[in-house]
Amino acid sequence: MTGPLLRVEGLKKHFAFTKGILFSRTLGHVKAVDDVSFDIRAGETLGLVGESGCGKTTTSRMILNLDEPTEGRILLDGEPISGLQGEALRAYRAKVQAVFQDPWSSLNPRMKVGRTIAESLIVNDWGDKAKIAARVRELLQQVGLRAEQAEQYPHEFSGGQCHALAAALASRPKLIVLDEPVSALDVSIRAQMMNLLKDIQAQDNVAYLLVAHDLATVRHMADHTVVMYLGKIVEKAPTESLFADVRHPYTRALFSAVLVAWPGRHEEEIELRGEVPSPLNPPTGCHFHTRCPYVMPRCSQQEPALREVSPGHAVACHLFDDNLTLRSGPQDRVAKGGLRS
Amino acid sequence: MSDTRDTVLEVRDLHTHFFLRRGVVKAVDGVSFSLKRGEVLGLVGESGCGKSLTALSLMRLLPKGGARTIKGEVLLGGENILERTPAEMREIRGRRISMVLQDPQTSLNPVFTVGDQLREAIERRRKGASLAEIMKEAVAALRRVEIAAPEQRIGQYPHQMSGGMKQRVVGAIAISGEPEVLIADEPTTALDVTIQLQYLKLLKRLQAETGMAILFITHDFGVVGRMCDRVAVMYAGRIVECGPVKQIFEAPSHPYTRALIASVPRMTGAAGRLTTIEGQPPSLMDLPVGCRFASRCALVEQRCLDAYPGTVRIGADHTADCWKVSPS
Repeated sequence: MTGPLLRVEGLKKHFAFTKGILFSRTLGHVKAVDDVSFDIRAGETLGLVGESGCGKTTTSRMILNLDEPTEGRILLDGEPISGLQGEALRAYRAKVQAVFQDPWSSLNPRMKVGRTIAESLIVNDWGDKAKIAARVRELLQQVGLRAEQAEQYPHEFSGGQCHALAAALASRPKLIVLDEPVSALDVSIRAQMMNLLKDIQAQDNVAYLLVAHDLATVRHMADHTVVMYLGKIVEKAPTESLFADVRHPYTRALFSAVLVAWPGRHEEEIELRGEVPSPLNPPTGCHFHTRCPYVMPRCSQQEPALREVSPGHAVACHLFDDNLTLRSGPQDRVAKGGLRS
Repeated sequence: MSDTRDTVLEVRDLHTHFFLRRGVVKAVDGVSFSLKRGEVLGLVGESGCGKSLTALSLMRLLPKGGARTIKGEVLLGGENILERTPAEMREIRGRRISMVLQDPQTSLNPVFTVGDQLREAIERRRKGASLAEIMKEAVAALRRVEIAAPEQRIGQYPHQMSGGMKQRVVGAIAISGEPEVLIADEPTTALDVTIQLQYLKLLKRLQAETGMAILFITHDFGVVGRMCDRVAVMYAGRIVECGPVKQIFEAPSHPYTRALIASVPRMTGAAGRLTTIEGQPPSLMDLPVGCRFASRCALVEQRCLDAYPGTVRIGADHTADCWKVSPS
């Protein structure tokens, strides 16, 4: 395999926080995304995990070319995407599609499902009416619906997320941004949708950027996982390696907050105190130090760099500065270290 | 059923239907369960199975537009609250049975301060108390749900607080009347995962202090494993299996429970394909005579289609509605 399909380099997005309307002045900047880099290879899934306000949605909006980065670049097949206009932008949109959490907001209630899907084919000059109709039927079948359902309106049956997916697949994209694609679905439907997404990936070699907060979903879907906290990447690893060996204290807290359905599996638990600090005024040094159970003096002064702890597995935490490992060692600190249980 | 001393809530054969022009939607159709003091019972099921409507029936807060409880009993401390007048019901709500809903945004009034909203709940209980006394109690209520700096928070409006904090305020209002039963309808679904864990632990601590019973409605088996002592699984208007959490997870008896648990993505073990449940639940307007899960069940037989299986007792505290399980 040559280069990655999508490369994100030093991406930053700062929103100005202003006061006043006519003579507005800038009071500060919200660093929604602050120096984020990752690659997505063709046919692979990257999971982007974090809580609300961590910057995962802003990152995906920049990849969709809906927001312009303040700094940094996004490259698709080696080509920078900033400043694309007209035909080139349209071609980019055909290659990079999105499916959002609420399918009903992506479907026009007054348009037949087939027409919604056809729209993206018309925009991309797919061909004449017959060719478009054939492709719509093919897409509906691909997402597990019946071809006749093209003639129905979205409210007439459930499975809205499948329509949204069919519409996203219409232009044969190389990358689909999936923003919480299954979190609004019921358990049994969620499993169907996840299997379907994997089948489509295997058939079409499409890459996914999976934005999610549910670690179990990410584990089943993603090849690589990126964990974000307050605009920064705190840990990045191949999914298997991350789940086998969680390093960053924040990731560990996320893992222990996942409510494992099987009782009696809560051997070590980190309950974080307080809430995510305001991104307007993030803590100095490591952004996580105000809630971290392993906090050290240097954490509030110096920002930790993202460094590799094992092949492909990078962590931004001072605990790993001297090759300390979190696995052995700080357990005794956990007992004393101000943790509530 | 001999031990009724500690039972605070007993629901018997509850039927709540929607009477629409198009027909009758049997959303809750024969639900029975009981709740002991200090116990957490999980009520799980997928959208449309009737779990939220069951809760609203208990509170007697049915949505307008044709919903009526037509049959059954809701015994709170031995008395059937379905027979109470609306005025008596207002006294029961908040003091004896309370509710926390999914979205704190809709439970709180945006134009009143948090203090005003707590005051309203406390005033009704402590008629004749001075404002200073009531506000002192309101601050104490916020402290109880572990809100930092409650003296300042009390003057704030809901929009000045985060989602987790708002849900704590809702919790403070709900338990301010020291209810015997708290109904929590997906209280953490709108919260972030680390905040969700904080809230669940808070509920557990409050329960340990007050001894209230909690009916915890959720679709998340993780929450059930964390919070509940027993769990009732609902499907198409009925409870199909009910038993201790550990037993249900380790040895689910009803095919629906089994399929539901198998379709949950796990954090351990092989990350392969997930098991799915084919088909869709039956229409609540046109329910089959037999088992409601029969059309999607892998073990279906003729008798499943002919008649609804009775509730089979398979353990001390474990029941399932299925022809294929054998009583013990």
